[in-house]
Amino acid sequence: MPTLNLPLTETPSLLGGFDENLLEQSRKGEHALLQAKRTAAFESYSQIPNPDRFHEEYRRMDPALFQIAKFSPMQIPEAAATYKALAEDTNYDVVISVSSEGIAVEDCNGVLTDGNLVVMPLDQAAREHSTLLEQSLGAGMVPGEQRKFLDLNGAFWNVGFFIYAKKGVDLKGGILIRYHNDQADTVLLPRLVVVAESLTRFAIAEQFTSPDNVKTLCISGRELLLDAAADVKLVSLQDWGNEGLHIGEDWARVKRDAKVNLFSMTVGGKVSKMTVGCDVCEPNANAYLGGMFFADRDQHFDQKTLQFHSSADTYSNMLYKGAVKDNGYSVYQGIIRALKNCVGVDSYQTNNNLVLDPTARADSLPGLIIDADELACSHGATFGNIDQEQLYYLRSRGIPEGEARRMLVMGFFDEVIDRIPFENMQDHLHAVIERKFGV
Amino acid sequence: MSYLQIKNLHARTGDIEILKGVNLEINKGEVHALMGPNGSGKSTLSSVIMGHPDYEVTEGDILLNGESILEMDPDERALAGLFLCFQYPVAIPGVSISNFMKKAVDARHPEGKAPAGPFLKEMRENMEYLDMDKAFANRGLNEGFSGGEKKRMEILQMMMFKPSIAIMDETDSGLDIDALQVVAKGVNKMRGPDLGLLVITHYERILTYINPQFLHILMEGKIVMSGGPELVKTLEEKGYDWVREQIAVTA
Repeated sequence: MPTLNLPLTETPSLLGGFDENLLEQSRKGEHALLQAKRTAAFESYSQIPNPDRFHEEYRRMDPALFQIAKFSPMQIPEAAATYKALAEDTNYDVVISVSSEGIAVEDCNGVLTDGNLVVMPLDQAAREHSTLLEQSLGAGMVPGEQRKFLDLNGAFWNVGFFIYAKKGVDLKGGILIRYHNDQADTVLLPRLVVVAESLTRFAIAEQFTSPDNVKTLCISGRELLLDAAADVKLVSLQDWGNEGLHIGEDWARVKRDAKVNLFSMTVGGKVSKMTVGCDVCEPNANAYLGGMFFADRDQHFDQKTLQFHSSADTYSNMLYKGAVKDNGYSVYQGIIRALKNCVGVDSYQTNNNLVLDPTARADSLPGLIIDADELACSHGATFGNIDQEQLYYLRSRGIPEGEARRMLVMGFFDEVIDRIPFENMQDHLHAVIERKFGV
Repeated sequence: MSYLQIKNLHARTGDIEILKGVNLEINKGEVHALMGPNGSGKSTLSSVIMGHPDYEVTEGDILLNGESILEMDPDERALAGLFLCFQYPVAIPGVSISNFMKKAVDARHPEGKAPAGPFLKEMRENMEYLDMDKAFANRGLNEGFSGGEKKRMEILQMMMFKPSIAIMDETDSGLDIDALQVVAKGVNKMRGPDLGLLVITHYERILTYINPQFLHILMEGKIVMSGGPELVKTLEEKGYDWVREQIAVTA
């Protein structure tokens, strides 16, 4: 394998214990396809300079905050776990839960029986769908982008799923993957590969939780490959306990007439860095990136988006809404990138921030890199507390101040939350906002 | 004793005194019009009555049903029976009309929660009466509304909240004749022994549809002239300069 010729850096190129030894452990007993993929990801990972505070992307989010060397991999038993149904599961067709007890896959509505929809762990997919997995694992990222943590996940993932919808699959309920880590000082490295053939429509949710006061790290990697006219929604809910650390990378490649919705909702955990990127790479491809974050009590949430237009006549729309209070700190950075000759691109990037008290801080750095003519790209960011005229209006109608403020904060986030395809998640987010808002 | 009494009201915003001793009494069942040139303090008066936080009362009092409301918050004033039809209602994206209306009706309900069935029925009927599309209820409050839609929304609220005293702050401004007629239709439906109405306007044209029993003219922060319906006609013919001459004569 040819090695990439990258400039040397003074910082070491391996992070913490994520080295050759751990790679060997991860590869042990695995299908050759997965071994090869891990090795390739490791090569790339070890040659990308370590992120540090001098990188623009990390100026507001010191990678040292993740204390990566302190964590050893979360132990997930290989034996299948018993599925324990939760009331909210009625919203989904397939529920997967990953915890210290192992992995449970429940096909609630028999949607997996005819084989048109495949939902299975990556090692099983390596045996049963090797050609497709060979083409898709590691293929979601925008060509030329270097993502250290996505490659780290690619080399060391310790649980992974393959979702594959054959042409025409139209799923009503959706697929939920629930991750719960209660092992202190461990790192969960989940991988998700989604392949949507043409004319498929389905939604996926991933939810991350941990108990309070248990130090955990998660480094997540996901890739979604959408063929012509596919319609896929992905919701990622970072709802960790108060000591959870999270790094997530989502990448979607969207072909002709297809539409992806990527939602990233960060409400829990201590420090979080989410990156969501899409490559709308054929005409009429469309991407919607929706995000919400609410940082309070010293939480530090960083989100980055990348709307990559590598074809003419492609569309993307991004709306990230955040609130900060009680020493919370949020960062939004985003780029719209339109390549040469990509005329007819239509792309928006909007980040609105509610700064609820003076102890909190929100930074916003939207940006455009445009190498084409005849297109429409715009970006904007707003900051502010609750609008006093709106508050006065509601109160003049008899609504008490506390309720009026609650309505305004909910309304602010509902522009994104209302678009999430799962009602139980909407309810959950409303409850979280209510709790954080403290009324 | 009138239901709403405004006594020697002085109010300012920042360092600027805008109201300089307003006296006005409105009873239930009465319709009063308040007119005055630009900058005379008409909108300030409505804001001060409703309790806008940007205005400070420096002297005088406002009594509703015999009790001073100056120490009350805007929501308490609303629950006491006051309603203000805003000249420029603010848009609140993300807060749907149905959610907003339910919360406001709940606030008025003795148990804090109005039963959903009757509430929805009443809202649907009132919306029909005001020629509003049902689908409106799911839209964000005033979000992307035309001038006429915003004013219908204000009238809809007045019909739902059933105030004792309603103040209409230049509700006619920016409306075409169709919208003006619908607004007047709603107001006239509300007229009756339980409602006292103060119609603030810059032009007399809304008064063609809503016939007031009393007209007051506000100039430089004071009510300088009051009269019956005949004053509307006189004012229309002779204008504010005539009013200024009259004051000069009496002074």
